[in-house]
Amino acid sequence: MSATIDPNLDNFSTEDPGARAPLVLGDLDYNGVTESVTAIWESEKPPKIGFLILGVALSLLVMLGGCIGHLLMKGVGVWGNNNPAYWGWPIVNFVFWVGIGHAGTLISAILFLFRQDWRTSINRAAEAMTIFAVVCAGMFPGIHIGRVWAFYWLFPIPTEHLAMWPNFRSPLLWDVFAVSTYATVSLLFWYMGMVPDIATFRDRCKNKWKKMAYGLLSLGWTGSARHWHRYEMAYTILAALATPLVLSVHTIVSFDFAVSQLPGWHTTIFPPYFVAGAIFSGFAMVVTLLVPVRKILKLENLITIRHLENMNKIIIATGLMVGTAYGVEFFIAWYSGVANEQFAFINRAFGKYWWAYWIMVTCNVVIPQLFWFKKIRTTPWMMVVVCIFVNIGMWFERFVITITSLCSDFLPSSWAYFTPTPVDIMMLIGSFGLFTTLFLLFCRFLPVIAISEVKNVMPESHHPDHGHHDHGDGDHENGDDAEVAPAH
Amino acid sequence: MAEEQNTNETRLVGMLAQFDDPHTLVAACDNARQFGYEKMDAYSPFPVHGIDPALGISRTKLPFIVLAIGLGAVAIGLGMQYYTNAADWSPIFPGYAFKISGKPIFSLPANIPVTFEVIVLSSAFATFFGMWGLNKLPMFANPLHRISRFRRATNDKFFLMIESADGKFDEEQIRGQFNSWGATAIEECREDLTDQKLPQFVWVAALIAAFMLILPPVLIYRAVGMTNEQPRMHFMPDMDWQDKFKTQVMSPNLSNEGGKDYLFMDLRAMRAQIPGTIARGDSTSLGEYETGVQEDSIAAYLSGEVYTGLAAQDEDAPAEPDWITGFPEGVTVDEDLLTRGRERFNIYCSACHGYSGNGDGLVNQRAVALNLSGSAAWTAAKSLHDPEVKNSETNPVGRIFDTISNGRGTMGPYRDQIPVEDRWAIVAYVKALQETGIEPPAAEEAAAADGAATEE
Repeated sequence: MSATIDPNLDNFSTEDPGARAPLVLGDLDYNGVTESVTAIWESEKPPKIGFLILGVALSLLVMLGGCIGHLLMKGVGVWGNNNPAYWGWPIVNFVFWVGIGHAGTLISAILFLFRQDWRTSINRAAEAMTIFAVVCAGMFPGIHIGRVWAFYWLFPIPTEHLAMWPNFRSPLLWDVFAVSTYATVSLLFWYMGMVPDIATFRDRCKNKWKKMAYGLLSLGWTGSARHWHRYEMAYTILAALATPLVLSVHTIVSFDFAVSQLPGWHTTIFPPYFVAGAIFSGFAMVVTLLVPVRKILKLENLITIRHLENMNKIIIATGLMVGTAYGVEFFIAWYSGVANEQFAFINRAFGKYWWAYWIMVTCNVVIPQLFWFKKIRTTPWMMVVVCIFVNIGMWFERFVITITSLCSDFLPSSWAYFTPTPVDIMMLIGSFGLFTTLFLLFCRFLPVIAISEVKNVMPESHHPDHGHHDHGDGDHENGDDAEVAPAH
Repeated sequence: MAEEQNTNETRLVGMLAQFDDPHTLVAACDNARQFGYEKMDAYSPFPVHGIDPALGISRTKLPFIVLAIGLGAVAIGLGMQYYTNAADWSPIFPGYAFKISGKPIFSLPANIPVTFEVIVLSSAFATFFGMWGLNKLPMFANPLHRISRFRRATNDKFFLMIESADGKFDEEQIRGQFNSWGATAIEECREDLTDQKLPQFVWVAALIAAFMLILPPVLIYRAVGMTNEQPRMHFMPDMDWQDKFKTQVMSPNLSNEGGKDYLFMDLRAMRAQIPGTIARGDSTSLGEYETGVQEDSIAAYLSGEVYTGLAAQDEDAPAEPDWITGFPEGVTVDEDLLTRGRERFNIYCSACHGYSGNGDGLVNQRAVALNLSGSAAWTAAKSLHDPEVKNSETNPVGRIFDTISNGRGTMGPYRDQIPVEDRWAIVAYVKALQETGIEPPAAEEAAAADGAATEE
């Protein structure tokens, strides 16, 4: 085989059907991997498109800040939330962003425990995406509480003047604990994983102040074997802790709905259905982000078509789960024999919000089926289009669940049609500005790819004589030895 | 590099060998351990597999630390929820055991999610900080960082250092061994002893920082027990102060410069009434229509010289005023008025007096029954067909109007519920009812009800 491998190599391109495409293309050695990841960080002139996107993102962020200031001065009346839909867009946006925040930890923790080595070049960016999505998510309920300056009442902090405690029997409080734990653990996991790579950045710094900053962040990391030993152990433990955590977070978010008695919410399918939807939307967002990132940062050798294709397969799988859940909801509504429940679902699909429901079904169930075509799931621009539709669909899913049930509850006299205000719309768009700004800063200043982990799954890291093939699917001996060594 | 050439005051920390691939490193570690070196460490850009046995690294006890913290978190999580939601015995920061939605004060299923999150959070902290603690990081001063070659330890090279503290340490011997094990470069790792002291300004800065840190607690300590006439500080005013004036307060002075620029120059925040406002009980504007009393008698009626209302049955009661005997000016008795009167009567009066006015309203029936059984005190409502009530000599329309307005006996006043014109409509309807010839209830019955009332 030639020294340079076609970056478009996918799972079936090699002649041996039992073999998989290598995880690192372009015949990169250790230094090559480091250089690829640090290139954009070291370059004097980052790509102009980055500044263009940053400019747009920053203006959206300013708009968001203005909206929040307006909200704090005027009160939550600036939103469309009103009787009977007191949970309007803020909660829809919260659930949407929290859902997106699930892919990162899933990739870093669950795929790590299952020894899926293809996670290594996407996990860092996905974890960063998780944290930024959780920032956006946490913002919405944070400002939804009305008196933001009393936010600490959410936590069990002893206060003399209040002389009260949170109600631990309420799912809304479980949510506070779940989301804040998730944010904290994701941050620890992300930062810990990044320390060796920040040390790489530190050792390449030429500027004194930069060196000091990265030096502080890397905690004096040397790559000592004893340190690596404890580090790997800690990483495994964190992965084992994060795995049930990631499943618990959206489960508890779904309790916010399922524990109430509103028709359309009060159902036991919500936890698995929400978790599947979260992974679905999270992976769609990872693909949406990584396709332009690998192009702009020239990381095609590390984030290969194989990585993207694997994620698209997960999108089909979770998309089918979500689609099944939509069907099961209808079946159970009919089977339960509860008139209110039956009405809630008929109303969802054919009532005032029929348009939202059918946007949701089209985007979440119909369009992802395009991924059955190999051409579509291996062509970057096509998969981005599909994934954007998935994210639109998942936003509408939360809209449909929240709004249709609230707007048509038990008492027909209180039925109403929810209308968002311009502030609602600007805040949703603004939250994308916040998210994009944070992600761009991450791409510019931090290691986008887990350099040390990628090196660890490169075939030359494994002794040919020892037969340590626990990273079997990535095994190949440089370019000339062909990457067809089957997993042992 | 300058640091490396400065050998005036340095100490040899160890000998560092560079290897180009992980396999040579593992082999070198293996050889070094077999030779008998104990104080040594390998450095690599990623965790090299098989290096732990080669270096003789024993398994870390981190998992047990995490397990212990995680188990402790079960108690902390459950204890926190029990204390805050189910225990209210503590004198300081007591729990708040409140029943909500009929849920039990403490129920394990409802407490599992938070307990789970507390376990995960505590264990994650234990893992994260435990790992750095066991690794003795952060440690920013490390002689290795002064070796420019060592920078590749985080990129693509692999290093082994045998420390000078090792019992078998011999510089020349190690050089030879490193070469034979395949090292691509060998270097001395030296610690610079000249700049180990902290610069003077760091001490000064630390002193100032410590002083600043002590200040807030000292100020708080000083404030405890002090009296202060200033109101409490409110960082977030919420709605504690609203822009409004209460009665009997001074008009605010709007001048910022200490001048006199009052919002209202009469210095009062409350305002005089708008011209034409009629106060309650203002005698000058009340006439026969509003009182049911003859014009001449109104002043005496309002001043209280003549008696009306609740205490009218008192023996010492002053004489009643001169009631008007016909409908006053402004009231035209016609079918519309009677229809209106019936409607109002049915709403306000029938509950006690009954639809026919015979004192048989549902409230009255029930109350009389309760009265007879001794479980409530009640004076039976009068039948409007009672001769005493029907008598237009002693009970003219003005007096009926006054009864509705101010009440009589145990009947309460309705002046605030029923507007004047409706009261006259009711009076007209009552007069019409009385003309229907309905018989009042038998005397014995009334006596029985009255008797029961007196016994109470």
